[in-house]
Amino acid sequence: MTDAKTLAYINMYAVLGTLENLCELDPKASALLTNKKPISIAFDVKGGPVATITFKNGKCRMVDSILPDADIKIPFSSPEKFNGLIDGTVTPIPTKGFTKIPFLLKDFKKLTDLLSSYMRAEPEKLEDEEFFRISTSLMFYTICVAVAQIGNNDEIGKFSASHMVDGDIMISIADGPAATVRVRNHRLVTIKKAPENPRAVMEFSSIRLARDLFDGKVNAVACIGDGSIRMRGMISMVDNLNRILDRVGLYLA
Amino acid sequence: MAREINKYDKSREWFKRAVEVIPSGVYGHLGPAEGCFIPVDAFPLFSERAQGAYFWDVDGNRFIDYMCAYGPNVLGYGDPDVDNAAIEQLKKANCTTSPSYKMVELAELLVDTVHSADWAFFAKNGGDVTTLAIMTARAATHRKKIVFTKGFYHGVAPWTQKIDYPGVLPEDVANNIYIPWNDADAFEKVIAENEGEIAAFISTPYMHGNFVDNVLPAEGYWKRIRELCDKHGIVLICDDVRCGFRLDLAGSDHYFGFEADLICFCKAIANGWNMSALCGKEHLKSVVSGITYTGSYWLSAAPFAAAIATINKLKAIDGPKMFKEKGTLLAEGLKAAAANNGFDLIVSGEPALFYLRIANDDSLMLHQEWVAECVKRGVFFTNHHNHFINAALTEEDIAETIEVAEEAFKVVKRNHPELQ
Repeated sequence: MTDAKTLAYINMYAVLGTLENLCELDPKASALLTNKKPISIAFDVKGGPVATITFKNGKCRMVDSILPDADIKIPFSSPEKFNGLIDGTVTPIPTKGFTKIPFLLKDFKKLTDLLSSYMRAEPEKLEDEEFFRISTSLMFYTICVAVAQIGNNDEIGKFSASHMVDGDIMISIADGPAATVRVRNHRLVTIKKAPENPRAVMEFSSIRLARDLFDGKVNAVACIGDGSIRMRGMISMVDNLNRILDRVGLYLA
Repeated sequence: MAREINKYDKSREWFKRAVEVIPSGVYGHLGPAEGCFIPVDAFPLFSERAQGAYFWDVDGNRFIDYMCAYGPNVLGYGDPDVDNAAIEQLKKANCTTSPSYKMVELAELLVDTVHSADWAFFAKNGGDVTTLAIMTARAATHRKKIVFTKGFYHGVAPWTQKIDYPGVLPEDVANNIYIPWNDADAFEKVIAENEGEIAAFISTPYMHGNFVDNVLPAEGYWKRIRELCDKHGIVLICDDVRCGFRLDLAGSDHYFGFEADLICFCKAIANGWNMSALCGKEHLKSVVSGITYTGSYWLSAAPFAAAIATINKLKAIDGPKMFKEKGTLLAEGLKAAAANNGFDLIVSGEPALFYLRIANDDSLMLHQEWVAECVKRGVFFTNHHNHFINAALTEEDIAETIEVAEEAFKVVKRNHPELQ
């Protein structure tokens, strides 16, 4: 019930894209990039997503195109091959930037390992409040971006998106991050900040509650009943968003 | 003087107990999620009793109820004529090995009352009979595909759900074709694209979807749908579960000037006693006879007695005429109250099943705030669904409703100085 192409889009924009937030939230990540020459990596997946990630001044930014001056370019012959990079079964072979390979093998790997430590966190680490906050915030961004990828690529996700009217949906955690899922002509884009004029809103009352939802420990419908998830606005948008959210777990499990 | 604001402490206590033992506490359309209780603390969660046009929650708050249990309350909660008929039947027998003759009496009454009914088949919920209607169409035509109009709701069986709903397989909905409401051209197009494959066209008599203004049939729409069905051997199913007996006792197809092959009833048929009915044309009677379809409680006698009493009383009082008059009176009062406070309240659909929407924003947020303020003051509206008029609703209730609505509009206006 999942497909490799949608997974590749999720892996590119929702998983690797969360490196942006990792560098903002964890000083260890930004420290890996500080006092180093800026460097950019272009990922080019045939029949799938493309992106360039730029590391500069301790920060990371992703764009959804191949920048011609990217320092390293890594092509993938298929979405499956790119997905193999993410799950560790495929070794990337750059076509450009051989002299920058040490960055790929050292700093980039350290960053992705750090991201993995937050995304697949060990239970005892989550007892640390700051680790818990960063881990849950990163999961939040990953999930929000994955929603757009599923809504645009997955066959069933596209069906859900086809029932969404135009407008901005705000997804937020009361004491944590917020994001916008922007709908235009049934195409979705996630923006990692709150919208100015949301047409629909889904708010989690706490970061703890958000975590429990992400971990499948509580049910969203029950949470609406006890007020720990608040929704308002064009509920048909939230309803279809939730149907896509149901599919996020299939891809990110 | 401002009205007292409801408190829901006991509702919350019951809900805490409920979530421990019931999935999501209260599931389905009566629950806070699907029922769009926005914000949830403005709404009651459990009732204590009901009478006439009102229900009382477990905290003792009284509500003028415009949802009518989402339709079944058509004569008033606890209508004495209906309940006495059911109770008298209960004293004799209810769920028995041989069904009660009340079943025959009710079928005869429906055949006499409903314009397109040559026979009646009984079950419990609306979804039971919409499903039977689809099975009948497939059995009669030996075809697979079903045409729906967008914004539809025909129950919760897998075939009525969508491919992205939890627990629904692509195979469950593989033969569903969706076209826009009021678009006979689209119907003609899908017939051509699926020649000889379409078993049925199923639709409510008008579009009463959620979150959107309800839309009546365009001039000539149903006539053309009927003609296309006749021409191509497609069974025309009218899902009258929601509108049935509120617009026209002869059926909503009759109200809108067409004749369905199959028509589905539930909700208002027995004023809250649990039963549903599929009625249809003579040529489909033998088809239904051959379908294996039954349930443990479908032939219980008390609901049959209640249905007979309900339909007879609706005839005696001319229920549909009354509902239209009351719905119109209410709609005019609500629109005036809105206008007094600078709000544009759209009232759509039939007056007996009016749908409300404040059109000052495109997000429904103002509308949700206003509905919440009404509910907190004892008028039960919903922000997403059409409402229902019942016969017990008095002009005094309507006047009180308009007073509450006006106060609620003032609160929303005060909370939104940017609208001035």
